[in-house]
Amino acid sequence: MIRLSKVTSGFGHLTILRDIDLVLDVGEMVLVLGANGAGKTTLLRTISGLAQVRSGSITFDGQDITGAQPHRLARSGLVHVPQGRQIVPHLTVEENLLIGAQHVPGITARLMTERLEAEYARFPVLKERRHVPGGSLSGGEQQMLAVSRGLMMGPRVLMLDEPSLGLAPQAIHRILVAVEALARQGMSVLMVEQKTSALRFAQRALVLRNGEIVFSGQAKGLSADDELMRHYGGAG
Amino acid sequence: MSAANFLQLLLSGLTMGALYALTAKGLFVAHLATTRMNFGQGDFLMIAAYISTALLLAKVPVVVVVGVVLLCLAVLGWGLERIALRPLDRLKARAGEYSWVLTTMGVALILQNTATLVWGKSAQYSPPLFSASRQDVVRVLGVGVFVEELIVIVVGFLVVGLFYLFLFKTTAGRAVRVIAFNPDAATLLGIDVKRTISLVFVVAALLAGISGVLAGPIVTVQPHMGLVFTVKALAVAALGGFANPLGVLAGAIIFGIAESFANYFNSSFGDLYPLLIVLGLLIVRPTGLFGEARADVR
Repeated sequence: MIRLSKVTSGFGHLTILRDIDLVLDVGEMVLVLGANGAGKTTLLRTISGLAQVRSGSITFDGQDITGAQPHRLARSGLVHVPQGRQIVPHLTVEENLLIGAQHVPGITARLMTERLEAEYARFPVLKERRHVPGGSLSGGEQQMLAVSRGLMMGPRVLMLDEPSLGLAPQAIHRILVAVEALARQGMSVLMVEQKTSALRFAQRALVLRNGEIVFSGQAKGLSADDELMRHYGGAG
Repeated sequence: MSAANFLQLLLSGLTMGALYALTAKGLFVAHLATTRMNFGQGDFLMIAAYISTALLLAKVPVVVVVGVVLLCLAVLGWGLERIALRPLDRLKARAGEYSWVLTTMGVALILQNTATLVWGKSAQYSPPLFSASRQDVVRVLGVGVFVEELIVIVVGFLVVGLFYLFLFKTTAGRAVRVIAFNPDAATLLGIDVKRTISLVFVVAALLAGISGVLAGPIVTVQPHMGLVFTVKALAVAALGGFANPLGVLAGAIIFGIAESFANYFNSSFGDLYPLLIVLGLLIVRPTGLFGEARADVR
């Protein structure tokens, strides 16, 4: 679904990622690990078009999307749920859910209602709180809302930036279970994390360090073991 | 002061309040989406008032006049964003943080001089929009009230209502509020940020267009009438709290009524007192009457 070849990228005068090669297959869930400042967020921002690609190329579903406009990519099914959830505090939960889907070309009112019901079934707490402002939800609820808001856009590729940040283990677990189920139905997932707890949900894992991929392999069998930690760099 | 006097002053205040509300809304919506605004908002109003006056004098029907004015102002608003604001984004750090103040004021100066060239320096009044003469009165509660003023109040607040519908009930309006919150997050939700910002400046210019048509018969139309409107609209927006749409409306009503009564008691310095009130209130409540302690919306 997604293929990066020798991508070097950054923003402004800063170059952050160097020579990144990455493949994400249909229905595959890949976890990107790395310490603070390793370039994980920039990797997602590069794929979704928010960072500038200096060299190399990115394809999505066989099409070259290097330098494409981010809102067009989002509309075409490459959905990036950014760090910090970015729930619009003054819009209600339901308005937040609809705000992305409304910009997908050719979407019908019926399809939107169907997807809305599907998201309410996935995370019933969102249905209970559909009329309250997004800003009044708890961190875990906001993350569910952020994932659901992305799913409302009908993604073929879902990119999640540290969904576990600041959440209780239970809330993290619920979200990961939901995402894993979607991957099993054929959606590709690229997830960035600092913690290794998501490893058992992923098929493959990458480790980023100083803007380069220093480890790539099967997620199975890996855990917070010495080998992986060594790649993490620094104190690990 | 008699009761009749009081009611007339109140209505005059509301009339000007409606015009200030429309102008301040234009500043507010641009500031909401981009943290910039058009310092020539009042001059857009001036251009609208001139076009409307010229067409009305040529006996063009009011509906057509409104249509032409809105079309011209839409183009003006779109052009302002394209020529005076968007290039600053490309310059990034090389453009100073407040260079938009200079570029939008520059456009305002060009408009003032263009108006002077085309229509001359002398002040004029637009013919009435809705009544046979500017002096037509209806009796409200036994008091004679100018028809034009009443209609300005009704139309003005109706348009403010429509503006709320746009901002809170349409997809484009919600997109504006998402951009206000975080432009990057908006992009990732499939929102075309550049196009939406263009739209915001078109909407702001349309608000100036409507207030220009309405203001024509109420105030004297002259090339430098705009600055007063910009300054007062800024005061109104500051009074209401820049981030709060209802605050802007309340601020405009308070300002208009204060101005009307101040002019009654002291016609030479009437304009001074409402501004002093704004200053005083801002000392007590720096974020405005309805402002939140922290930055709202974003």
